[in-house]
Amino acid sequence: MAHRVDPDQRVDLAPLLEVLASRFRPRDDQEAYELIVGACQEAQRLYGWVPPEAAQAIADHLGVTINRIYGLLTFYADFRTEPPGKHFLWLCHGAACYVMGSSRLIELLRDRYQLEDHGVSPDGEFTLHVFNGCLGVCDLAPVIQVDHHEYWGRLTPERLEAAIEALKRGRGVEDADGTAG
Amino acid sequence: MARLADRQAFEHYAAQAQARWERLWAGDHWIISVGISECSIAKGALETYRHLELLLAQEGIPATLRRVGCAGWCFAEPFVEVRAPGAPPVVYGNITTDRVPELVHALKRGGVKTEWALGVRADEPFAGVQPLSQHPFLARQRRLLFADAGVIDPESIDDYIARGGYRAFLKALFEMTPEEVVAEVKASNLRGRGGAGFPAGIKWESGRRTQAWPKYVVVNSHEGEPNVFKDRRLLETNPHLVLEGLLIGCYALETPHGYNYIGGEHALAVKRFQEAVRQAYELGLLGDNILGTGFSCHIRVRTGGGAYICGEGSALMYAIMGQRGQPRTKPPRSVEEGLWKRPTVLNNTETFASVPSIVLNGGAWYASLGTEQSSGTKLVTIQGPVKRLGVAEIEMGMTMRELIFEVFGGMREGYRFKGVQTGGVSAGPLREDQLDVPVDFDSMTELGGMLGSGGFVVFDESVCAVDFARYLTAFNRYESCSKCNPCRLGNPALVEILDRVRNGYGRPQDLDIIREASKHIIELSLCGLGQVAPMPLLGMMKAFPEEFDAHIREKRCPANVCPISEAALATVGDD
Ligand SMILES: Cc1cc2nc3c(=O)[nH]c(=O)nc-3n(C[C@H](O)[C@H](O)[C@H](O)COP(=O)(O)O)c2cc1C
Ligand code: SF4
Ligand code: FES
Ligand code: FES
Repeated sequence: MAHRVDPDQRVDLAPLLEVLASRFRPRDDQEAYELIVGACQEAQRLYGWVPPEAAQAIADHLGVTINRIYGLLTFYADFRTEPPGKHFLWLCHGAACYVMGSSRLIELLRDRYQLEDHGVSPDGEFTLHVFNGCLGVCDLAPVIQVDHHEYWGRLTPERLEAAIEALKRGRGVEDADGTAG
Repeated sequence: MARLADRQAFEHYAAQAQARWERLWAGDHWIISVGISECSIAKGALETYRHLELLLAQEGIPATLRRVGCAGWCFAEPFVEVRAPGAPPVVYGNITTDRVPELVHALKRGGVKTEWALGVRADEPFAGVQPLSQHPFLARQRRLLFADAGVIDPESIDDYIARGGYRAFLKALFEMTPEEVVAEVKASNLRGRGGAGFPAGIKWESGRRTQAWPKYVVVNSHEGEPNVFKDRRLLETNPHLVLEGLLIGCYALETPHGYNYIGGEHALAVKRFQEAVRQAYELGLLGDNILGTGFSCHIRVRTGGGAYICGEGSALMYAIMGQRGQPRTKPPRSVEEGLWKRPTVLNNTETFASVPSIVLNGGAWYASLGTEQSSGTKLVTIQGPVKRLGVAEIEMGMTMRELIFEVFGGMREGYRFKGVQTGGVSAGPLREDQLDVPVDFDSMTELGGMLGSGGFVVFDESVCAVDFARYLTAFNRYESCSKCNPCRLGNPALVEILDRVRNGYGRPQDLDIIREASKHIIELSLCGLGQVAPMPLLGMMKAFPEEFDAHIREKRCPANVCPISEAALATVGDD
């Protein structure tokens, strides 16, 4: 489930508006405020980021100011306000992953692919989020979740590089770790 | 489905669910269960499930294929439980797709694949397989919250009810006053499982005492620490248990307003809890006039966006209110002024999950588990290179050594134990000679450790104490909400000094500067993040002074991790 990347492409708001109309129906102001983050999460699920048009649509729908929306989008680490690369790498930097060597993976991505936390690689292929919590799959540490569904586990810098090159060549990565599919 | 109108209707429904459950397990046909959790999915459990479905059909084995939750044994995922006609259920570990054909063929031949079996769900060995309860991972555990983990389908309220679910809620609702519920929770001496260990009963009592309405009851399922994954597993494997605890909490506070705030990263936990809420509404266990009693309860699920600080009570409430999640000064405490400025009782997921058994069996019974000061059981996770990684539930008071080396199996081949980081990012490590300390709320504190949320990080000789201290301090720096200066400026300063040390430019006086700065951060910070942020670093300095020394005086990283620079090396012995 790679994201479509075309920064110039206009965002199709229809699916978001549909979700908002069906599942985000505040009964009062209090609830409208409570629903902002959830609505932004839906937008990001749909588009891979929260485009300005989507933020505005959420503000209009919930009757809150756009400032409030951006106040939250910039506060939380999970949100992206820039278009992402084609593939999304969610690198776990929780304690288990640290102990098993996630720092070396971060270094590899930075040095070899000019990929920094929350950045997009120059070739537009990858977005990286370094996750400070635990992805909850510590038995695979150090681990990266790829495109929201696949896991590369028990990585070494060498294995990560091989996996990335395979992904760039457009092939699904089989068995980066011998266990995860 | 029609909402259940009264207690009798529930009893009738429960009897039917139980009868169905018993029929299912009556012993005359195949039942195959696959554990589906975030962690097993990452290891390919969905593929295993699909593959099994296909091959069972191909081989003509008419099995009921079930999805169950996780059982806490990450090391054995994906797991498959097979109940053949006339035989007890055998649990197999690490059944990846490539093993499915062989497993199915063995079953077809009527055999048991002994070498892949974790154990059999029976009191006696079966076909050479030992009882599951004697598996070294489980033998020392005491499972209350995880009793049905991996047994029931988390997405089925019927499974939960068949196993006795919602009986505690009904008991509270029909046989106890709210005051009596609070009294039992107080008598149980249940202490908060989110880190601080504050007695839940006392908090509930204060919440009742405050005279302002509406009131709110909130579950803290944020779980943003880097060292723990127990709450989401609880929600993934038995969401109704948490929901039942929350319902009892709402009843005790006499409020119809309950919330669960779940970290947005924990997608499956969110999904399963939402599904549990939907099912409870459908059955009439949530909503208005529950079972004809006049008591109403509505549960809202809210999700976080990846900011550790939103796990702190006051920040969490702002986050729910659609504001930036930043803590505020106390008093007023949340039980006086919390969510929407109204009295709010906030407890951890595991705390709520412990409540149903307290209501059912009584506070005194619960208080008899564990130790005098730390009653009950505790979910614990161990991360790092141990043999049996996972979530365990133990009675409080087991020693750390038993926990690491017996339950979790000790170190993996090729790794040597160096220490165990306790209390997540809020306390220090224990060394090998300190491992006989009991795992409970108070014992570790004297050693600079902490129970915290029950997540422990075992590390081996390849981890450098200075670098680890930097990692933990940098976590707190990154997650600081920047509201108050001691934390906002102090933590970056600590990281900067540590980087100097890591690069080989540390000076002997740096350790004093660290101690001094830490004192300021601890004493002057506004919230719990800043107030303990330097503890991991101070703990590492205390536990491994020789390593800090080696970096500073000899410009040497004994674990060979730190980027000591050539230029710095040239200065060895200058001071
Ligand atoms: C920075 C910070 C993060 C916290 N994160 C969590 C968390 O993720 N989950 C949790 O239950 N408690 C967390 N807490 C503790 C809560 O503030 C609060 O004490 C707890 O939820 C109360 O529930 P309990 O008494 O049942 O433990 C955190 C505290 C601090 C200071
Ligand atoms: S101590 Fe840190 S996290 Fe807490 S309020 Fe101050 S700046 Fe924010
Ligand atoms: S710390 Fe990375 S998966 Fe748990
Ligand atoms: S197996 Fe369930 S937590 Fe990993």
